[in-house]
Amino acid sequence: MNVLLAILWKDLLIEVRSRDRVTAMLVFSLLVVIVFHFALPGSNPEQQAANAPGLLWVAYVFSALLGLGRAFSLELENEALSGLARAPTDRGWVFLGKAAASFLILGVVQAVTAVAFALAFDVDLSAVALPLAGIVALGSLGICSVGTLAAAVAVRTRFREVMLPLLLLPLLWPVISGAVRATAQLVGGSDVEFEAIQLLIVTDGIYLVLSFIGFDFVLDE
Amino acid sequence: MMAPPMDASTPTRESPVAGSDARAVRISGIALIAFLALYAAMVISAPSDAVQGSIQKILYVHVPTALASYLGFFVTAVGGLLYLWRNDDRYDRLAHSGAEVGVLFCTLCILTGPIWAKGTWGHWWVWDPRLTVTLLLWFIYLSYLLLRSFTEGSARTARFAAVYGLLGAFAVPLNYFAIDLFGGAAMHPENLERDSLGAGMGLPFLVSMLMGVVAFLHLLAQRVDLASLQAQALERRLQSGAARRGGPAEDIPGSGSPGTGALSVDNDRGSAL
Repeated sequence: MNVLLAILWKDLLIEVRSRDRVTAMLVFSLLVVIVFHFALPGSNPEQQAANAPGLLWVAYVFSALLGLGRAFSLELENEALSGLARAPTDRGWVFLGKAAASFLILGVVQAVTAVAFALAFDVDLSAVALPLAGIVALGSLGICSVGTLAAAVAVRTRFREVMLPLLLLPLLWPVISGAVRATAQLVGGSDVEFEAIQLLIVTDGIYLVLSFIGFDFVLDE
Repeated sequence: MMAPPMDASTPTRESPVAGSDARAVRISGIALIAFLALYAAMVISAPSDAVQGSIQKILYVHVPTALASYLGFFVTAVGGLLYLWRNDDRYDRLAHSGAEVGVLFCTLCILTGPIWAKGTWGHWWVWDPRLTVTLLLWFIYLSYLLLRSFTEGSARTARFAAVYGLLGAFAVPLNYFAIDLFGGAAMHPENLERDSLGAGMGLPFLVSMLMGVVAFLHLLAQRVDLASLQAQALERRLQSGAARRGGPAEDIPGSGSPGTGALSVDNDRGSAL
């Protein structure tokens, strides 16, 4: 547990001092919003509202890919990754520390992106901000759990920038589909189906447990 | 890891494995030839579908390839789990072979499906739950194979691949659950208990499914045998190199994991250059 907190604190401190991950993810995420705006010219408000949840999650997933990749590439400097592997504890706690830091950093980016998205696509998210934050947190938990494991694998491969999305995206389908479904229902003003939340919770749980166990095998000295 | 010195009369560690692999290749090869004749006769003599016509006979290729691909991915997951548990290269070779053969059959399944779909549903592709799950499976195990290619060092490759193969196996039911929940109308027929096959098609279908299993087992045996031979060849190369240097062979990235072994050595050279 101490290791978890130490790694979380270390990653957040690095981020507070450098602000490189948040800045890069945020700029990228806003660029994605602008790309969507130009990719869907002349959409009427109904179409924009219908597309918004899916587009929002695409922006979230792309920016998460950037952040997760950076979370481990910074550990390559001075062989810090080997130091993490030698931590005198179960490596699962190292995983939880890294995943928690990525989750919090991604959360900041997601909040700002949501505001930009609401303005750009004229979607009122203020009324559903709190339940939306809950859905986004559930989705991000799935992304950051299996994403942290995939990033730890990808960083030790050649073409690591390519490997991370290749490894991660096919595994994220249940998370994305559940999150988009729930977000669409919330933004559309209808009740959120329990099945969508159930899917997110089940996927998060399975990916968290598997990544906790699997991390012991992917972090090597 | 220090390998023991070897002379020509010393049996290598891999020998018994390679021997059993070769036996599996022979047995499954004989079964394949025997089944091939029966399969061809059955498919030709099977009645044509009253509505779909002769295009329906693609069933006898499409469904067995789907079964064989699922078997391949199952073997990959089990092989990966056993590798992580026992740390034995043979299980990694089995897992790697299962993924390669599985991806081959999955590709055939994804190619034959649209041909049938265009003839019967009128579209090359629909986002039917089973179709989508199969496509995602194909992507997961393609990524698995790419991961193996892009990772240097045999033990690391095996560990990474085993973990990812297991994650992929868990992603399948999750994907199916997700698609089943929101996927809309399913285009594929339900299971055979619903009598989706016409009269006289049951036996040819059963034979074609067995044919799929036998073809899978034969290709798997071939691939595992090849991987064992690659492992032996690499070990000999290392030991002859060590003998020339006058010392024991040193473990280098690539030794012991035959599927990617030679590749890993080349990769190391490539990165050194």
